[in-house]
Amino acid sequence: MSVGQVIERICSEKRHIMKKTLIKMGALFLAGGVTLAAQATTPEEDRAAFTSHYKFRFTDVPVEEYANGAYAIDKIGRENWEAIEEFPPYEPFIDEGQEMWETPFANGKTYKDCFPDGPGVKGQYPRWDKKQGMVITLPLAINQCREANGEKALKYKKGPIVPLLAYMAFESRGQITNVVIPEDDPRAMEAYEAGKRFYFTRRGQLNFSCATCHVQNTGLKVRTEVLSMSVGHTTHWPVYRSKWGTAGTLHRRFSGCNNNIRAKALQAQGEQYRNLEYFLTYLSNGLALNGPGARK
Amino acid sequence: MQTKRLLSVLLLAVTFVAGTGTALAADAKAESPKAVQAQQEIDKADKARKMAASVDSEWTTTGKLIKKAQAALKQGDYDTAIRLAKQAGEQGVIAYEQGASQKELRIPSYLKY
Ligand code: HEC
Repeated sequence: MSVGQVIERICSEKRHIMKKTLIKMGALFLAGGVTLAAQATTPEEDRAAFTSHYKFRFTDVPVEEYANGAYAIDKIGRENWEAIEEFPPYEPFIDEGQEMWETPFANGKTYKDCFPDGPGVKGQYPRWDKKQGMVITLPLAINQCREANGEKALKYKKGPIVPLLAYMAFESRGQITNVVIPEDDPRAMEAYEAGKRFYFTRRGQLNFSCATCHVQNTGLKVRTEVLSMSVGHTTHWPVYRSKWGTAGTLHRRFSGCNNNIRAKALQAQGEQYRNLEYFLTYLSNGLALNGPGARK
Repeated sequence: MQTKRLLSVLLLAVTFVAGTGTALAADAKAESPKAVQAQQEIDKADKARKMAASVDSEWTTTGKLIKKAQAALKQGDYDTAIRLAKQAGEQGVIAYEQGASQKELRIPSYLKY
């Protein structure tokens, strides 16, 4: 049975039956399921394990293609996507973002003062910040810049942060994902490990982890969508999604994927999602950035 | 540091909810013992929901059930309120178990190292 069918079935069941299913699911998961106790693995070993898993499943798809998400493995979806990319729906966002980038703050300073290598700095994020003792993502760095210059922080899932991110992503195209876990601060590895644990933790009423869909069931369909591989998940943000009717951030997508399994989404740019981004982006090390992107 | 602050906010929130709960329950008592029971089940469910949230494991369904139970209680439909609140409470307990039992990382066997 495909994941789609499982979800469909659970959705259509009557409430009293669902309650029973729930209790069974609870029992199943208390029994442990098919898992192995964690052996200590290095980030490089994790990346290799994920990549070889997908390579084994999709023998003739080159790893570089993973940056195109489901369209690397979904022929029909790809045709539509290529047609959409001829007049990219994210283009107006890039233009709007450039204007934001060039407009000085009330104090006369600009984003350039915070990002001297900018606007194309996406390849430097997410990164471990030893002084702050946390993972810094690009959206967080943008808001830290704004606040340091007396401007209000922007919302993290949609709204004006998206065009700015779109412009910076566009200017960063071709940079190679290269997340570093510095060895001089053990907290960096802890953050990576926390992100990894989040990724493999089953959540929500449907009791799925990210891996259930994006590793175990990659290539299968959920309703009309083909499940993508997690390697390549971070290269192309922000994304214009037809379903959203606008462009949104990676953490908005995290929320959506949590909600789909009936798990309450956590705070965008909160510690859990930042650590998740750290782990997830590490998996894409070596892949070129190709944002902003368009998806169904 | 942040966890500490969060904890104290949570504690405050719990106290607050428990406080209003008792106040409401006191009002309800004048009406019917079933109303009191409904309020108690709702309070229990909300506690269970918060427990699940404390391990990042809350379900989207639980809060909705609690809201529906509260609405039913308000309308005097105590049986429905009790039934929904119990369901929500059960969800909260399972969701907490779900989160708490996975504190340790487990790599699924389909991923070969
Ligand atoms: C019920 C299955 C399911 C689960 C569980 C799930 N997702 Fe998804 N996810 C999807 C579907 C369906 C899509 C859209 C098709 C695709 O790209 O895979 C998607 C898309 C994504 C995308 C966008 C891919 C792109 O190319 O733009 C990201 C990133 C993502 N998921 C991350 C996650 C993370 C992180 C988790 C765990 C918190 C997760 N997902 C859990 C079903 C799921």
